[in-house]
Amino acid sequence: MSAAPGIAAIAYALPAASPSVRQLAAAGALQSEPAMLERFGFGHVCLAVDETPYDLALSAASALLRENDLDPLSIDALIYGGAPGSIAFSHPRDAADEARGLCDVRRFQYPGTRLQFDLGMENASVLGLDQLACTTILGAVRVARALCIAEGLERVLCVSSEFYPAAAGREAITNCTSDAACAVLVERNSPRNRIVAGATVTKGYFWRAASMRDEVMASYFPTAAHVMRRTVAAAGWQPSDVDWVMPHNVSATSWDILFRIAALPNARLYRDNIARIGHTLAGDNFINLRDAADAGVVTAGDKLLLFAYGYGAHWTGLALEA
Amino acid sequence: MTPMTCFITGTTGLLGGEVVARLVSEPGVGTIHALTRSPIIGGSQRIVPVGGNMLSDGLGIARPVRNRLAREVTTVVHCAATTAFSQPLDVARATNTEGTRRLLEVTADWPHVRRWVFVSTAFVAGLRTGVIDEADIATSDWANGYEQSKAEAEALVRDARDDWAIARPATVVCDDATGRISQVNAVHRALRLYFSGLAAMLPTAEHSRLDVVTTEYAARGIARLVMARDVERRAFHFCAGNGAMPLGQLLDATYESFLRAPAWRRKGIARPVRTDLETYRMFEAAVEDAGSERVRQAVRSLGHFVPQLAYPKHFDTTGADALLGEAAPDVASYWEQMVDTLIAAPATREVA
Repeated sequence: MSAAPGIAAIAYALPAASPSVRQLAAAGALQSEPAMLERFGFGHVCLAVDETPYDLALSAASALLRENDLDPLSIDALIYGGAPGSIAFSHPRDAADEARGLCDVRRFQYPGTRLQFDLGMENASVLGLDQLACTTILGAVRVARALCIAEGLERVLCVSSEFYPAAAGREAITNCTSDAACAVLVERNSPRNRIVAGATVTKGYFWRAASMRDEVMASYFPTAAHVMRRTVAAAGWQPSDVDWVMPHNVSATSWDILFRIAALPNARLYRDNIARIGHTLAGDNFINLRDAADAGVVTAGDKLLLFAYGYGAHWTGLALEA
Repeated sequence: MTPMTCFITGTTGLLGGEVVARLVSEPGVGTIHALTRSPIIGGSQRIVPVGGNMLSDGLGIARPVRNRLAREVTTVVHCAATTAFSQPLDVARATNTEGTRRLLEVTADWPHVRRWVFVSTAFVAGLRTGVIDEADIATSDWANGYEQSKAEAEALVRDARDDWAIARPATVVCDDATGRISQVNAVHRALRLYFSGLAAMLPTAEHSRLDVVTTEYAARGIARLVMARDVERRAFHFCAGNGAMPLGQLLDATYESFLRAPAWRRKGIARPVRTDLETYRMFEAAVEDAGSERVRQAVRSLGHFVPQLAYPKHFDTTGADALLGEAAPDVASYWEQMVDTLIAAPATREVA
């Protein structure tokens, strides 16, 4: 029987502070009117104050190992994505200063290698992923699946941790953003969440992200719908087969539109976390999947479609069978 | 037979100018009095400029000139209109509806007039769907102020006279089958927005088509309507009709043209999503809420035109085909050339 890699476990970590949209507005952390952002479905975000990105990554990965009673030595590879180098160890208030670390040997202090050491994953080779924005964890899962199939690895731990420095504000293109870390375990023969197919479209034309917001906004819907349909087709499914869409937690209004044009007649959108957490760069889709599974709304055999957009610009879909 | 003496409005416009050029070459046409704000409009001695405009009482024509016109004119051809889809209704009405009312008032006491040709638009059909007969009278809602103002003007003409003939061209997109574009309008601007990657969606319905024609065809039809017998109290659809392209096919042809530009191909700009009108309205609202001013302007610009695509209609052209002895050229025969022209070079004039 051929290998059937899948998502065997998920854990995530959120910082303690959880201000409301209105509190963020009062603190000057938003560009848009809070009423509009609330209309778009946002309620609270998770804000790192005393936590570093690495703290969150360590917390998520530790939880995953602990909750699933996993021997760290059984992890064959660790794929780490998110805040890079020295920034990964800084508090949000110090992040701008920590960029100085790129000028000296501190630039080679990596969170991936530290995580391998701190958690005792001595058998894990470490890879880093970058430049995928909010699709980093989906990219990591793609690589992990490939490693399982191509190299016969049994367990690959994917970890992503992202944050915004304190001065950066909490809004990205009318989406409220959260700090978070997400850990996803890909097993070569997973008992659940079999990875059926994936699809990614990268449009390098949008690399100049700061000045192409309008073009990106216009391209978002047609390309997102295309990638979702392509993922479903690659899975060998009909659009009507999809039971659940695990979204990235961007505006609920944009999902209302995307959901209609994606034309998945029987699918439901898991949207509870848009209000509770907002958009994490680290792993909305898997955070949602974990919560949906814990809540019992996703059951074994359900066909799941995960979709995320990474500014810069990547559109990625993943088809899982729960 | 005494040659007809024509009074024509809108001769500096795209269609009006072409209609005059055709009538000048007709042996049955004598003098052409051309209402114009410009003192000189052409090189033919048979064309007599008449100073005036559609917005003034009495069309702003001097009394002695009006008296002379009353004595001589046998045929009125009303081409003047403001054709911008984006204009507010009151602005469209000022020229299209009230201008027509003024022309009807002025010509009411011209005793020799036997033919009163009104150049309307096929889109007086507004938001109706299905087969639109030439005999149909617009009674529905409309997609924009232009359509409504023209429908109201049609009603005025029908009520005021017994000698009317109405030309209803579809939207003109290029001069002729070469695809040359002398005037950019809402269709072209929509295509430019899709080309630039600033437009994401297109409201459509099953069986949606885009009915467009060339200036050459529409002007030929109007000129024929001026000359033909037994056309009184009838409307004629100078439309592509059966030759209109289904929207999917039209998008394919459009993006084939776009893809011929290597720089465009590399950008990977997505084809717009075809969606229902309700979803499109949600998208419009989201852009109004959260879009930049540039994207808002782009979507507002499309909003005056593209929602019409969600009301699929087929213009019956039986009367027009019989009048001209042939149907309009198939849109597919010139659409790609037109798009190639549009993306290669700017046109000479624009309609907002």
